[in-house]
Amino acid sequence: MEEKILTSQFEPKIASFVCTWCTYTGADLAGTSRLKYEPNVRIIRLPCTGRIDYNLIIKAFENGADGILVSGCHPNDCHYSSGNFYARRRFIVFRELLQFIGIDVRRVQFAWVSAAEGAKWAKLVNKFTSEIKDLGQFTNYQKIKRDIFLEEAVI
Amino acid sequence: MSRIGVFVCYCGENIGRTVNCSEVTQRAAKLRDVVYSVDYKYMCSDPGQQIIKDAIKKYNLNGIVVASCSPLMHEKTFRHAVVEAGLNPFLCELANIREHCSWVHDDKRNATDKALDLIRMMVEKVKKNLPLDTIKIPVTRRALVIGGGVAGIQAALDIADGGKEVVMVEKSPSIGGHMAQLSETFPTLDCSQCILTPKMVDVNSHKNIKLYTYSEIENVKGYIGNFEITIRKKTRYVDDSICNGCGICIEKCPQKKINSEFNTNLGTRKAIYVPFPQAVPNIPVIDKENCTYFKNGKCKVCEKFCDRNAIKFEQTDEFIKENVGAIVVATGFDLYSIEKERSDNYQGYGEYGYGKDPDIINSLQFERLLSASGPTLGEVTRPSDGKIPETVVFIQCVGSRDKSKGIEFCSKICCMYTAKHTMLYKHKVHNGKAFVFYMDIRAAGKNYDEFVRRAIEEDEAIYLRGRVSRIYREKDKLIVKGADTLIGKQVEIAADLVVLATAMLPQKDTVPFAQKLGIGYDKYHFLSEAHPKLKPIETNTAGIFLAGACQAPKDIPEAVAQASAAASKVLGLCSNDQLEREPYVAYVNESSCIGCEFCLQSCTYSAIENKSIVNSKGELVKKVAYVNKGVCQGCGTCVSICRSKSIDLAGYTDEQIYSEINSMFV
Amino acid sequence: MNSISEIAKKLLDENRVSAVVGYSIGSLPNKTKTVIVKSSQQAEKLIFNNLCVNNLAIYLTKSFRLTTQKPVAVVMKGCDVKSVTGLIQEKQIEREQVFIIGVKCNGVSEDGKNLSPKCYSCKLQTPKMYDILVGEEEEKNIEFKNPFSDVEEFEKKSLDERWNFWMNELEKCVKCYACRQVCPLCYCEKCIVDKTVPRWIEPHTSKSSNLSWHITRAFHLAGRCTGCGECERACHHNIPLSLLNKKMAKVVYDNFNYQAGLDDKAKSPLADFKFQDKEDFIR
Repeated sequence: MEEKILTSQFEPKIASFVCTWCTYTGADLAGTSRLKYEPNVRIIRLPCTGRIDYNLIIKAFENGADGILVSGCHPNDCHYSSGNFYARRRFIVFRELLQFIGIDVRRVQFAWVSAAEGAKWAKLVNKFTSEIKDLGQFTNYQKIKRDIFLEEAVI
Repeated sequence: MSRIGVFVCYCGENIGRTVNCSEVTQRAAKLRDVVYSVDYKYMCSDPGQQIIKDAIKKYNLNGIVVASCSPLMHEKTFRHAVVEAGLNPFLCELANIREHCSWVHDDKRNATDKALDLIRMMVEKVKKNLPLDTIKIPVTRRALVIGGGVAGIQAALDIADGGKEVVMVEKSPSIGGHMAQLSETFPTLDCSQCILTPKMVDVNSHKNIKLYTYSEIENVKGYIGNFEITIRKKTRYVDDSICNGCGICIEKCPQKKINSEFNTNLGTRKAIYVPFPQAVPNIPVIDKENCTYFKNGKCKVCEKFCDRNAIKFEQTDEFIKENVGAIVVATGFDLYSIEKERSDNYQGYGEYGYGKDPDIINSLQFERLLSASGPTLGEVTRPSDGKIPETVVFIQCVGSRDKSKGIEFCSKICCMYTAKHTMLYKHKVHNGKAFVFYMDIRAAGKNYDEFVRRAIEEDEAIYLRGRVSRIYREKDKLIVKGADTLIGKQVEIAADLVVLATAMLPQKDTVPFAQKLGIGYDKYHFLSEAHPKLKPIETNTAGIFLAGACQAPKDIPEAVAQASAAASKVLGLCSNDQLEREPYVAYVNESSCIGCEFCLQSCTYSAIENKSIVNSKGELVKKVAYVNKGVCQGCGTCVSICRSKSIDLAGYTDEQIYSEINSMFV
Repeated sequence: MNSISEIAKKLLDENRVSAVVGYSIGSLPNKTKTVIVKSSQQAEKLIFNNLCVNNLAIYLTKSFRLTTQKPVAVVMKGCDVKSVTGLIQEKQIEREQVFIIGVKCNGVSEDGKNLSPKCYSCKLQTPKMYDILVGEEEEKNIEFKNPFSDVEEFEKKSLDERWNFWMNELEKCVKCYACRQVCPLCYCEKCIVDKTVPRWIEPHTSKSSNLSWHITRAFHLAGRCTGCGECERACHHNIPLSLLNKKMAKVVYDNFNYQAGLDDKAKSPLADFKFQDKEDFIR
């Protein structure tokens, strides 16, 4: 069903929602350590994974994301004690819903990346990017979005 | 109408090497609502900041995007600069084109395109930013300390010495806590009371400390800076404003044979009593359950002899309100009670016979036997017949580190005090033999391992690595059956006295107490710190701090250190009339909130409450959520949980994030 | 035995309730309709039979304003009471505000012939909570079917089959929001789809905005939907909404061992967590 564009040409669009205390700081560390990773990811910084609602993910797909990466503090490391636990529950349920509807959940990846795990972040982005490259463009979603073309893009 | 300025930093070559900054600057200028765009070598330098300030004025900017390093690095710097140009600091956002772009990508084309994407996202976000004001919360500059053990005493004295008023509440008739019961302390063997009582007296006489003994916390309302405490002053039947502590009432009381709690039931006291001679305050209490007058309606001997008429049989509980800005919880520990099968999760140690045989005692009882002010005046004798025990067996980890008994944790202090017990015993009974059954010796701490070695090498305590399976009496002796796992043999010791190093648990009734305060507790009911590593003093409720063994097993120096840390937190909090907080807090749209209370349930900090909306006639229209700005920490969990999106988080509003997502990909 | 109308008459005569919400004979054959009886003269209209399919818990939500002064009495089957439990749990009503006339139920039918699908997995023929119970007849054995069998069947389809199935179904949606209006637990005064700042779900009908609405509806009901099936009955285009709801119920049951509508003191599973929740999907 999904049209595979030649892998070499296809640069996936990856949206990432991360908490500021662990993963954002971890991604900063990847930077200060000059670790190289794929340039496809766009990070949105939030205070906590607890703040990451399911509709952010839907919206990112609607805007053409091919993959979504959600990351925060490891269990028991949450700056707010339990925001990541609420998020984990939410995503257990939400993932199943996506799968049921026929959305490949490999396109939505959850991770725990601590402030010390710059290397993990770099690796994660690389691995996820290559996985999305293999999966190809998320044409299913992008097609239905094109059904009624709403010019909302900025620029 | 948004007028956005974009300021692109080269960061020397750090950004400029991989990102084509001048191209980014030119393309950024074409973004919708961007009226000014400029690049500069070092935007964070003084001239760089000046460029921003000048542009704000010249182009009348109302949104600033600085494309530079991580906001965790320089957000404060640039927001400060923006304020100097007369703009609200929260109208400035940073696009992280260094840590998240130039430093992690090699390809110039990709990095440049990504940098523009990141800038575009921030431009769209900043358009939705609202000017925010730092939150100011008034602070009542005095503190409440709950618990009058060594931790509470230290915290109270530190705060009071810092010039702030302290209200101290202790549930028993005297302050002093468990430390007052100890004989000598490890690793220096200095007398516990000698070092504690001066501090107790200081508490009582300090002009900044208001002491409520024999009192409990009835109710806690409010939040950081503004707590309203109701204290229940339990009935002493002695007017503490008149009593001068002469003690004649105690002397004359005919009711003598009541077990003394302070002496761990090894000694007796009267029906009117002070728990121990050095008690602070030195004011007696009538034990209503054992008082002849309360039981039979006749006696009142104490009243007759009291020449100040301080005995008040008609006294009732008194309720006192106190307003404080901060609370230190130092409610301390209790020993795992081993005598019976317990109704809670813990199973007890029936096989060790505690409570059935008087010569099987716990370590706190042994402390009283060693204490010069104890029931035996410091002579180590057997409770059963007063004989001096020639062989004493100490058993460590009774309750601790034993999953099958319900406690998995290590009580931390038992290795040290057991070593101390063997030494003190040997110093008093020179020909005595001290055996210790242990699992591991955990003696990490300054001079601690040396201390244990001394017990073994100089005072010849015999350490056996293994558990005891059973203790039973055979005539005059207690037969202790155990294993020595190092030689791999069963051992049997005929002992005169057995001392059990029982586990430390929090005070019982900690759960309802914690609920009253709105602070967390773990599965053992120890009170929970806000963060195990970085906030070990704070609780999840802002303004409430922990000190001592109520949080986890601790020895005296640790408890005191934590108490001083809590005191410094309190003094910091009380050093200003107002508390300033970043304005990243949740707020409620009351018109669409339906009051399902999901946000309230999921708030870690109990920052959300109910609020009733009434009409002009005063009738209830509906109940909605209300966020207490003083308590909210801004995690935003409530925002995700709200189905009707009636709660939002300032600084990370739905609109801001929506704009970022919408501008993420072109 | 007291009949529903006798009970209603008494409650109204004694001024104990402001209204009695129940069923009466409908204008179409094999249908019943809802009546809100406010005076005892009208109480005889009230009936109960196997055509009383719909869930009257909706009348307890705030928009009907029936419970403002006095309690309101409602005729309820065991399955309907679950919605009331949910409403109490979510602080929409207090237990004292509702007088539950519980009815023993041996299954209901939409057309008078076939049992409603929800009845096959019903374990609450006698309501769990009520103020007065009506109906003495013995509980008939209804053949028990796995409530999740259609979910499990559907999950066997391939990803593309599932996607195409839902695209075809959701394409029919005209966003009339009848599913929302009829749902006793969709009680928000301002639904997320009506919010414009920002507009998470676009108002027009398109595959993508329909999908986003139905994901939202299903997700918002996760752990809350009691499976009354009213949304699907109300849908003009017969979109199988129950399938989505049941999937959510299954996920919540499998992962958190929670069933909606059984305990009015329980925390809703998505406003709660356990340290040991699974995380095998997290890297």
